[in-house]
Amino acid sequence: MGPDRGDSGPDPGGTRAGVTDATTVADLTAAPEAAADVPPELVAQSLIQYLRAWWLKVRSGDSGILPVLLAMVVVAVTFQIITPEHSFLRPSNLVYIFGLSTVYMVLAIAETVVLLLAEIDLSVGAVALIGGVIAFKLVQQPGPHWPWWAAILAALVSCGVFGSLAGTLTARLKIPSFVVTLAGFLLFSGILIIVLGGADASVNLNSSEFNQRVIYDLVQGVIPPVASWILLAVVVGAVGTDLWLRAARRRRQGLVAPPKSVTAIRIALLALVGVAVVAVCNVNRGTTLVTVRGVPWVIPIVLVVLGVWTLVLARTRFGRYLYAIGGNPEAARRAGVSLAGIRTWAFALCSATAGLGGILLGSFFFGEYSTNTADPGQLVLYAIAAAVIGGVSLFGGRGKALHGVLGGLLIGGIAYGVSLLNLGNLTTPLEYILPGAVLLVAVGVDVLSRRGTGSVTRV
Amino acid sequence: MSDLTADPSGTPAGVTDATTVADLTAAPEAAADVPPELVAQSLGQYLRAWWVRVRGGNSGVLPVVLAIVVVAISFQIANPKFLSAQNLVNLFEQSSIYMLLAIAEIFALLLAEIDLSVGLVMGLSSVVVAELVQPAGANWPWWAAIIVTLLACCAIGAMQGSLVARLRMPSFIVTLGGLLILEGVAIIVLGGTLVGIGNSQYKNELVLYDIFWGAFTPVVSWILLAVVVGATGTGLWLRDARKRRHGLEAPPRSLTAMKIVLMAVAGIALVAICNVNRAHVGTIEGVPYIILIVLVVLGASTVLLQRTRFGRYVYAIGGNPEAARRAGVSLPGIRTWCFVASALISGIAGVLFASWQVSLTTNIIKAANSYVLLAVAAAVIGGTSLFGGRGKTIHGVLGGLVIGGIYNGLYLLGVSSQWIDVVVAAVLLAAAVIDVLSRRGAPGRA
Repeated sequence: MGPDRGDSGPDPGGTRAGVTDATTVADLTAAPEAAADVPPELVAQSLIQYLRAWWLKVRSGDSGILPVLLAMVVVAVTFQIITPEHSFLRPSNLVYIFGLSTVYMVLAIAETVVLLLAEIDLSVGAVALIGGVIAFKLVQQPGPHWPWWAAILAALVSCGVFGSLAGTLTARLKIPSFVVTLAGFLLFSGILIIVLGGADASVNLNSSEFNQRVIYDLVQGVIPPVASWILLAVVVGAVGTDLWLRAARRRRQGLVAPPKSVTAIRIALLALVGVAVVAVCNVNRGTTLVTVRGVPWVIPIVLVVLGVWTLVLARTRFGRYLYAIGGNPEAARRAGVSLAGIRTWAFALCSATAGLGGILLGSFFFGEYSTNTADPGQLVLYAIAAAVIGGVSLFGGRGKALHGVLGGLLIGGIAYGVSLLNLGNLTTPLEYILPGAVLLVAVGVDVLSRRGTGSVTRV
Repeated sequence: MSDLTADPSGTPAGVTDATTVADLTAAPEAAADVPPELVAQSLGQYLRAWWVRVRGGNSGVLPVVLAIVVVAISFQIANPKFLSAQNLVNLFEQSSIYMLLAIAEIFALLLAEIDLSVGLVMGLSSVVVAELVQPAGANWPWWAAIIVTLLACCAIGAMQGSLVARLRMPSFIVTLGGLLILEGVAIIVLGGTLVGIGNSQYKNELVLYDIFWGAFTPVVSWILLAVVVGATGTGLWLRDARKRRHGLEAPPRSLTAMKIVLMAVAGIALVAICNVNRAHVGTIEGVPYIILIVLVVLGASTVLLQRTRFGRYVYAIGGNPEAARRAGVSLPGIRTWCFVASALISGIAGVLFASWQVSLTTNIIKAANSYVLLAVAAAVIGGTSLFGGRGKTIHGVLGGLVIGGIYNGLYLLGVSSQWIDVVVAAVLLAAAVIDVLSRRGAPGRA
């Protein structure tokens, strides 16, 4: 389609959100600074226009997931070159990295919810560990011997209650969230040991009992190769159909929608990534004696968490309110949004999601939980770093669940890559230094890109 | 009366003419903002004005002093050993680290920033100073090791401060990233094994060891007390007298005298407690060196913040950065220097920490991180505001004493460390709630 689209363009009368009349589209290339703020899907009518608008947006500082994707490529290539025997990209390592990154991904998604409000939750690490220990304790036999789903549900609800306490203090009393959650970190680190039953205690899953086996398998279990392919077809089919139908419906009703080609490319990319993941997972990664093939359960689980949070953030009123408060709390308040209510819920849901991360963490460590399983302080640092590296802004109102997943994968990849190198005494320090440096760089980029848009007015 | 409260136009900052003084008790809400020493002419008036201010939400050190009394009485009832001379000295020693870190944190808090790296600046400093005096390694003299360590800490503070001040990156993220990097660097410096300073054959190690564990002899302690109280008391008295002579606002003479007497009594009590023999076998008596070190840091930082232009700018930025900027204050410069000061004092705490631990391992470095929570808690419990512009370094010392008292008391009672964490978290939350609520009551604050 050429620039002559006076008739085919969407009807501006029907769209409240975007400015989509013909003048804006025609002006796109002439006035890049004016167009930079408008999402490209609102103004572009063809693939070329869409790409050009996207590039303008990237250059103006709103680069989305591009930096983290580039960083992942750089990390992958670098480690592939420098690891002994070029082992970084072996299928077994890739699957292991995903398992290792799971807790960072889920915690980063949790942290994103709070970061969208321009708040922070420093207690997610400790809360996650408590959630894991609660679930593990509840399925013990002898012990409470709850069914697995009830144990997980109870753990998530308990974590949600913890989060709502922190949220209430932050939202109603206006105590800075980092102080509330700093105290929460200390408090929950103490409670964690109390729940666990002492500093030397540990709780184990017995994988021969059904309910414990289910929780054990959350990360350790695999879907057989054939079932993996079928699952992939179902997922890509369902998501692709939904994407396509939704875009078609929007086009039919005269709402703004990306061009058909962009939708098709998105679906094709999704299928490609899916095929690659399943193909990698279906390579035998066991030893010579044991065959391990298939997609680990944790991948669909993370996808479900990602999908649910993406829907909540993008399609529900609650999600819109989160972005509204993060963008401008006073404007949101005047528009009738209950700031205290939304904030409290955000902290509660953040903590509940973190609790799920804790359960997955225990499953990753072969169903064992002790005080040495993970350092809650380091978990929270990695979670924040993952979210920010992924592209979530610290200043609120900008970020998606997908950013947390990508950032978590990058952090996990760096951590595992360092451990593959034969650095001797340098391994442990580098596991601290690299995430710290990456965090500083990511936040520096966030600050500088925000400065370009003029939306930060901090003195 | 009523027309005076309704007419705020004439004097924006301090309403100090005679009418106001007369109105003091009639219109407490108007007087609540004015420091009592500006309006009171006699001790009675002063105390009354102070009480009005406390009721107006600006309670200063009163809550933390009450907290110390409560902590002391409750633990003494629970365990009669708590207030024994032996345990009190032990408590002072433990608290000294919290006190120094809290003073460091206050430099950031006054700007409405936060420094989460104080714990690991301390950890890194302790490793560096210990490595530098190793006879088999660098084998530097102790004073050179300390100076270089402290300079390195200043450089760390300058880097973090620049990122905060010039790029305007959020301070908690800069110091979060900073502490991760410092943790890695500290483990590298440590070199994977433990480093100790406990070998008394080597003079440099012995000096470092004595910084925490050494003490003045009882006679020297008394002489030192006389010198300190004499110098500070004379300074206070002369300053107030000069102010009065020049017709400036000054507290009444009786109040100055009372302050000096209180100081002397506290000092005598302290020295008397420290001079009791606290060894199970043999003799250990006298004031530990670290008490003097904490006092010197407290004095220097108090003078820096209360009496210099730098200090006034710090409070100005903390109160209203935009106003300070328009008044010509260099925000980046002052902010950077505050982070330098914070890192320097954390570095001093690190030298003490190395001396206290005697031998340092990777696990001790990791544990150093948790001290930042206690430092923030101590500062806030002491009465420093999280929102900037309100707080004094004495708050850090008093808050550190509360934290140290809770730790020490619960430990004496055999409470496990996780419950101690829970109690400290609850105290921190309570302090933050009090801070927020008192700010809400104060006029002109949201």
